[in-house]
Amino acid sequence: MKARRSDQVSKRIAMGIVSGALLAIFSLPAQQASAPGQPAPSTNDSKPKTGNIGLYRNQQLAPDGPAAKLADGTPDLSGVWLGSGGSDADISNPKALKPGEQVVMLPWAEEVVKNRLSKQDPEANCLPAGIPRGSPYPWRIVQTPTHYFILFEGNIHSYRQIFMNGKHPDDPDPTWYGHSIGRWDGNTLVVDTVGFNDKFWFDYKGHPHTEKLHTIERYTRTDLGHMSIEVTIDDPGTYAKPFTTVGRATLMPGTELLEYICQENNQDLPKLQGPARGPGGQ
Amino acid sequence: MKLAFSRAIACAICLAWGLPAPAHHSGAAEFDSSKKIDLTGVVTNVEWTNPHAHFYMDVKDSIGNVANWNLELASPNVLIRNGWKRNSIKPGDLVSVTGVRAKDSSNYASAGVITFPDGHRLTFLSADEPAK
Repeated sequence: MKARRSDQVSKRIAMGIVSGALLAIFSLPAQQASAPGQPAPSTNDSKPKTGNIGLYRNQQLAPDGPAAKLADGTPDLSGVWLGSGGSDADISNPKALKPGEQVVMLPWAEEVVKNRLSKQDPEANCLPAGIPRGSPYPWRIVQTPTHYFILFEGNIHSYRQIFMNGKHPDDPDPTWYGHSIGRWDGNTLVVDTVGFNDKFWFDYKGHPHTEKLHTIERYTRTDLGHMSIEVTIDDPGTYAKPFTTVGRATLMPGTELLEYICQENNQDLPKLQGPARGPGGQ
Repeated sequence: MKLAFSRAIACAICLAWGLPAPAHHSGAAEFDSSKKIDLTGVVTNVEWTNPHAHFYMDVKDSIGNVANWNLELASPNVLIRNGWKRNSIKPGDLVSVTGVRAKDSSNYASAGVITFPDGHRLTFLSADEPAK
């Protein structure tokens, strides 16, 4: 028994070393600057500030300071973040839309929203949330010279890849996260995505989309600990006009991503009743 | 700022109604905030799993019949960041639990507050003390 346990411990240590090495390789460009994911230890022995971030209590907060940059001057977005680019409960919530914007659905989409059930929500079925829907779980941005990655802790343990200065294929295969290309517009990372499937919901309410969906995300690190996110949603198959959602992410410098395999023990699904609705029934 | 605000509102609504905090599904679709539970019993099993951790407990009624309840918690990644450990609750522990019952009225509930005989408490989201 002891030998088996020791074997398991050795395996875990080995896996930890391999994961750490991979992470270090992926993080190399980010670490050339101030490594915002892990702020440098304070030189005056003062404890880092703590506070609540989302569902998480007493978390280490980022110190005050300007947004980080890489050695070549590129804005550095790397680190563990919590937040998203809109309202996960209801994408049409005016508080999470750019001022003056409205979500105007085509008649078929209005019918769909009226008839969707909570248990049909891909999120409740442990399927990807798509764009821009977030979750209560953090995510990490990893920057390399050619690819940026977004690693999601949840809802499903998945990732997005953004091809920097790339081109969309002529006829992309429809996928949950689509095909994303990125470029810098000043200090803002602009991510252009097409090639979505029509499966994910924008929110708990069940706002739909078609394969014509085209999103443009704008990520701006406003200071060391915060990032603004705007997402323009253009889907002429579902909405009468494009609209732009607004959201924010907060850096979580004191944590690493943890494992979250949603499919493991999803006992909730058969118990969900009634129409699609927000977390508190709103 | 707006997003943080809307998340805070969603969380506040859930907690005010006794529903679990936002997760991968609507808490209001699964649990009935009007069906409060207040149970005391012995823990029989713990599942440290996603998307939710669960523990099971035997609860005796006034005439000695025993029912096994399934109590739901947040996911381990949330619990760990909020001070829980995987053995914070274990088989054999005597605990009292308040929370809200599933809409289907089965012996399934969201565990709001778990109280141990020495008075220390755990909740759906967090432990008494922050993570060390």
